[in-house]
Amino acid sequence: MSKTWVVMKTMLKMQYSKAGKSNSQIWLYVIAGLFFVPLLFFYIGIINNLVEALYNVLQPLGQDSLILGLLFLGIHMLLFLISFITVLSAFYFAEDIESFIPFPLHSYQVLLGKAANPFLYLYLTASAVFLPAFFFYGAISGANILYYLYGIIMFVLLPIIPFTIAAILLMLVMRFVNIAKNKDRSKVIAGIFSLAFIILINVLVRLNTNSGDLINNLAVFVQEKDGLLRMITSYYPPAFFSTMGLTEASSFSGFLFLLAVIVISAAAFFLFIWLGQLLYLKGVLGIGAGNKRKSSQKKIKKQIAARPVWLSYMLKELRIIFRTPTFFMQCVVQSLFGPVFLLIILMLDSGDLTGFMNMFSKKESMLILFIATSVLVGSNAASISSISREGKSWPANLFLPLDPKQIFFSKIAAAWSLNLIVIALVLAICVFLFQLPMDMILIWLILILITSWLSSILGTYLDLLQPKLNWTDEQEVFKTRFIGLIALIIQVGIFGVLVLILWNIDAIQGLYTSSFVLFIVIVIATFVMSKLLSKKIKQNEHQHI
Amino acid sequence: MIEIKNVSKNFPGKNKAINELNLTIPDGKIVGFLGPNGAGKSTTIKMMTGILPIDKGSITLNGYNIEKNALEAKKIFGYVPDQPDMFLRLKGIEYLNFIGDIFEIPKEIRQERIETLTKQFNIYNALDDYIQTYSHGMRQKIIVTGVLIHDPDIWILDEPLTGLDPKSAYMLKEMMREHADKGNTVFFSSHGLEVVEQLCDEVAIINKGELIFHGNKQEIREQFQSDQSLEELFLELTSDE
Ligand SMILES: Nc1ncnc2c1ncn2[C@@H]1O[C@H](COP(=O)(O)OP(=O)(O)OP(=O)(O)O)[C@@H](O)[C@H]1O
Ligand SMILES: [Mg+2]
Repeated sequence: MSKTWVVMKTMLKMQYSKAGKSNSQIWLYVIAGLFFVPLLFFYIGIINNLVEALYNVLQPLGQDSLILGLLFLGIHMLLFLISFITVLSAFYFAEDIESFIPFPLHSYQVLLGKAANPFLYLYLTASAVFLPAFFFYGAISGANILYYLYGIIMFVLLPIIPFTIAAILLMLVMRFVNIAKNKDRSKVIAGIFSLAFIILINVLVRLNTNSGDLINNLAVFVQEKDGLLRMITSYYPPAFFSTMGLTEASSFSGFLFLLAVIVISAAAFFLFIWLGQLLYLKGVLGIGAGNKRKSSQKKIKKQIAARPVWLSYMLKELRIIFRTPTFFMQCVVQSLFGPVFLLIILMLDSGDLTGFMNMFSKKESMLILFIATSVLVGSNAASISSISREGKSWPANLFLPLDPKQIFFSKIAAAWSLNLIVIALVLAICVFLFQLPMDMILIWLILILITSWLSSILGTYLDLLQPKLNWTDEQEVFKTRFIGLIALIIQVGIFGVLVLILWNIDAIQGLYTSSFVLFIVIVIATFVMSKLLSKKIKQNEHQHI
Repeated sequence: MIEIKNVSKNFPGKNKAINELNLTIPDGKIVGFLGPNGAGKSTTIKMMTGILPIDKGSITLNGYNIEKNALEAKKIFGYVPDQPDMFLRLKGIEYLNFIGDIFEIPKEIRQERIETLTKQFNIYNALDDYIQTYSHGMRQKIIVTGVLIHDPDIWILDEPLTGLDPKSAYMLKEMMREHADKGNTVFFSSHGLEVVEQLCDEVAIINKGELIFHGNKQEIREQFQSDQSLEELFLELTSDE
C-alpha cells in the first residue's frame, strides 16, 4: 500500500510542480482571490437560505428527507460529470503513464496513481457543494452526533461511486475506439464523444421534465413519509441509501443504510480496480503515437515550397494545434461546444428561431450579439497558450533569426484565425436561423473581427507574463492555470460594463451610433493592448522566461 | 570568430554557474569544449545563441553582438541543441521547410540540399513522418540537416555526436573538418575525449563555471611537459583536490 501512496504522490507532484515558475506574478492569484472571497460568502449565504427555506416548507409534510435526497442526487451527478472529464484527461490524454510502466509496480498501483488527480478534484468539489448544505441541514434539523459521524464517512466515500461509473463507461468506449490503433485519433474521438454525451444528457433531462405525469405522481408520493425522496431516487439507490442513513442516523436502521453505502462503495472500488486492469492497462499500452507511412520521393519534392516567414510560422502554429489532441480539443472543439450547446437548447425550447431577436430593438440586438460573441471569442484557449504550447521547442524562437515582433504577430494571427471558425458558425446562425438584417450582421462582423484580434493579443500578453513551458504533458498548459479565466474576466468585464452603459444611455440611440461607440472603444483597446505587448517585447521579456 | 568577454551567469539558487569567462574561438579551427556534467557547457552555449540572457559581459559572433545585434548574429550561426526534442508534431520535411523559410533559402537550393543531406544521413525516407516517431539519433540528424541547409559560417554544436551511429558520426566529423578548413568556425561540446583528441585543433576545458584550460595540442604538451593523454589531463584538471 505504501508503494501505491508513493505513486499517487509522485503523479500529483509532477502535475502541480512549481519548478521554473517565477513568484513575481503572484498578483494574478491575488486578483483571482479577490474575486473569489466575496463570492464564497455570497455562496454560503445562498446555500444556508435555500436549505432553511426548503426545510420550513417540507418538514411539516414529512418530506424533509427530500433535501438530502436532492443533495446526494445532485452531488453524484456533478461528481459523475467531473469524473468524466478528469478521467478522460488523466487516463487517456496524459502521457505520464509510460514513465511508470518500467517500475516493478502492480497494475492496480499505477491505476490508483492515475486516479489521484481526479479524486483530488472530486473531493474539492464535494467539499464545496456537499459540506455546506450537509452542515446547514444538520443544524436546522437539530441532528445528533451520529448524523455528523455518518455524514463524514459518506463524504469520504462520496466520489467513489460516480467515479467508478464514469471510469467504466469511458474505459468501455475507449476500448472500442482504440480499434483505430491510433492514439491521437482516439483521444480526439473520445473528447468529442464526451462533449456530445454532455449535450445528450442535457437534452434528455429537458425532454423528460416536460411530461405532465409529474404532477400526478407528485400528489401520490406526497402522501407517505419520505415519498418524494423515494420518487426522485427510485432509479439511483446510492442516493436513497445515503439519505436514509443520515435521516435515520439516530436509529439502528440508519446504521444499516450506512452499511449499505459502505458495501456499495467498496464493491464499486473493486469493480474499478478489476475492470481497470482488464480494460485500461491492456488497452492503453502498445498503441502507437503517430502513424508511419512510407513516403514517395515525389511527394517530398512537392512539399518543398518557399513561403514568407510570418505565414510559415503561422502555419506551424496551426499544424501543431490541429495535430495535438489536447490542443485541438482545447483550442478548436471546445470553442465550438458553447455555441452548439446553446443552439440546441434554444432549438429545443422554441423550435423556430426566425425573428427570435425581434423582441429587442436593433441597438439592443447588436449589444446582445456583441457581448455574447465576445465571450465566445474571449474564451478561446489558443491565445492564452500561445507561448506555453511551445514547451521544449521554445528555445528555437530564441536562437533562430526571428524578429520577436514577427513571432508574436504570427502567434496572434494563428489564434485569430482559429476564432474565425466560431465566428463563421455564429454568422451562419445569424443569417439562417435568426435571419437578422444584413447591415446589422455586417457591422457585427467588423466589430467581432477586431475584438477577436484584441482578445488574441490580450491572451498572448497574459501568457507571456507567466508561461508554462516546462510541461511534460500538454494538459498542464491548461490545467492548474487561471489564465484563461483571467483573460475572460478582463475582456468581458470591460465590454460588459461598456455594453451595460450603452444599453442604458438613451442619448445613444440606433444601431449605427451605438456600434460606432463600440467600434471606437475596441480600436482604442486594441491599440493600447498592442502597445503594452510591444513594450514587453522591447524589454526582452520573452527571453527571460 | 566567437568572442566571449567576461561573461558571468547566475541562476536562482545557483550563483556563478558561469564566472568571468573569457574565450576566443578563432576562424578556421575546430574547438572542442570539455567539462564534467554541470560544468556550464550548455549554459555557455545557450548564452552564445541568445537562448539565455547574459548577466554580465558580452559575446560577439563575427563581430555581431548576440544581444545588441541579435538578428544579424543569429543569421550567421547554426546551432544543434543538446536535446533534439523539438517540433515533434511536425513532419521532418515540414521542419526543414520551416527552417528554409526563416533563412530565406530559395526553393531550388533547398530542394537539392535537403535531398543530398537527408540521403547521406539516411533519413530521407522518414521525411514524411512526424518527428515524434523519430529515434533520438534521427531527431539529431534532422536538426543537423536544418543547420546545414542554411550553410552558416559558425557552427555551434552541443554534444552533436552523442547518439549518432558510427557512419553518421563519421560523416558529421568529416563535415566539421571541411567546414573549418574553409576558414569557418566550429565549436562543439563533447564528453568523448578520443573524438576531441582526434578532431579538434583547440580544446577548452571548463569546470564549475570557470575556464581552466584553453590551448592547442602543442600547448597541452608544453604546459604539462609530458605525453599525458587528454584523458589523464582532463581527470587531473577537473579533480576536486
Ligand atoms: N535553468 C536552470 N536553472 C537553474 N540552474 C541551472 C539551469 N540550467 C543550468 N543550471 C545549472 O548550471 C550548471 C551548469 O549546467 P549546464 O547545463 O551548463 O552543464 P553542462 O556542462 O552542459 O553539463 P552536461 O555535461 O551534463 O551537459 C549546473 O550546475 C546546473 O545545475
Ligand atoms: Mg550540457
